[in-house]
Amino acid sequence: MNKVTSEYVRVLLDRYMNGENSQEELKLLKDYFCYTQDLPKDLIPYAQMFAILDEKQQTPSVEALDRFSEDQAPTTSRRIPLWPFVAAACIAAFAVIVLAPPQQKEESMAIAYVDGKELNDKALAMQIGQEALQEIFSNGNEEEQLHELFNAK
Amino acid sequence: MCMLLSITSYVTAQEGLQINEVFEGKILDKEEMRESLIKGETLEPYKLDMLHTIKFAANSKERAKVNALFIRDMEDRISNDDSNMEYESRDGYIYYAIVQITDNKKGRHRYICYQCRDKSDYYDITLAYMEGKASLADLRKTFKKK
Repeated sequence: MNKVTSEYVRVLLDRYMNGENSQEELKLLKDYFCYTQDLPKDLIPYAQMFAILDEKQQTPSVEALDRFSEDQAPTTSRRIPLWPFVAAACIAAFAVIVLAPPQQKEESMAIAYVDGKELNDKALAMQIGQEALQEIFSNGNEEEQLHELFNAK
Repeated sequence: MCMLLSITSYVTAQEGLQINEVFEGKILDKEEMRESLIKGETLEPYKLDMLHTIKFAANSKERAKVNALFIRDMEDRISNDDSNMEYESRDGYIYYAIVQITDNKKGRHRYICYQCRDKSDYYDITLAYMEGKASLADLRKTFKKK
């Protein structure tokens, strides 16, 4: 396999984010993130993304993730005693519990938004919400999917 | 314009999520969406406190953007366990996902859901955000078509 450069990977990622990748380019990306040990730090989040997309792929190496974390973390560290913060947090929590007014029950609302119009129609809002969830939880209507498949051409 | 902003202004629960950009109409115009936002006692039978759904047709570029945002939110999932997450990907893109994401509020669960159906010249995308006491098993039982 020819060595894919990180510059080329960035070009392919741009195409991926525009939904323009060919299957071959997609495979190059997957292979790159799967097998490259020493990832540039700006590409590490993409490696995590491709790892989610393909469970068989490796997640970024521990070293790479450490390097990414180190970059995100502050560079200096010193030991700070925790007890003053714990005490302050306890006092603040006590004050919030004792002094806070009783919580009001969250207001009910049901809004549908169709064809650019907002409708305060509870039944319609529920219908749209239920249809969306039924479609997702049934992973689409299988009967409809079969119909689409057999009538595709 | 006021109408365009109204639903968005009600919603704060999705703050911090990447897909909020889609709900807010930053990827696609909200006028192109079919949307529902429900909070409170109407959802009690479903053990939910909040439900926000949008459905829209997207081109390849829009689909890729929504896909990337959703995947970034998936990184906040509770675990890879079946009881917290299910998803399917093909050709480098998510086609279907239900993911329980972390929540700091005790006893409350949060879910993000996504479905993308390839309609050959466009993509039919459904996104949902839910909050409540319902487990993923409860939701499957309630909403899965028999």
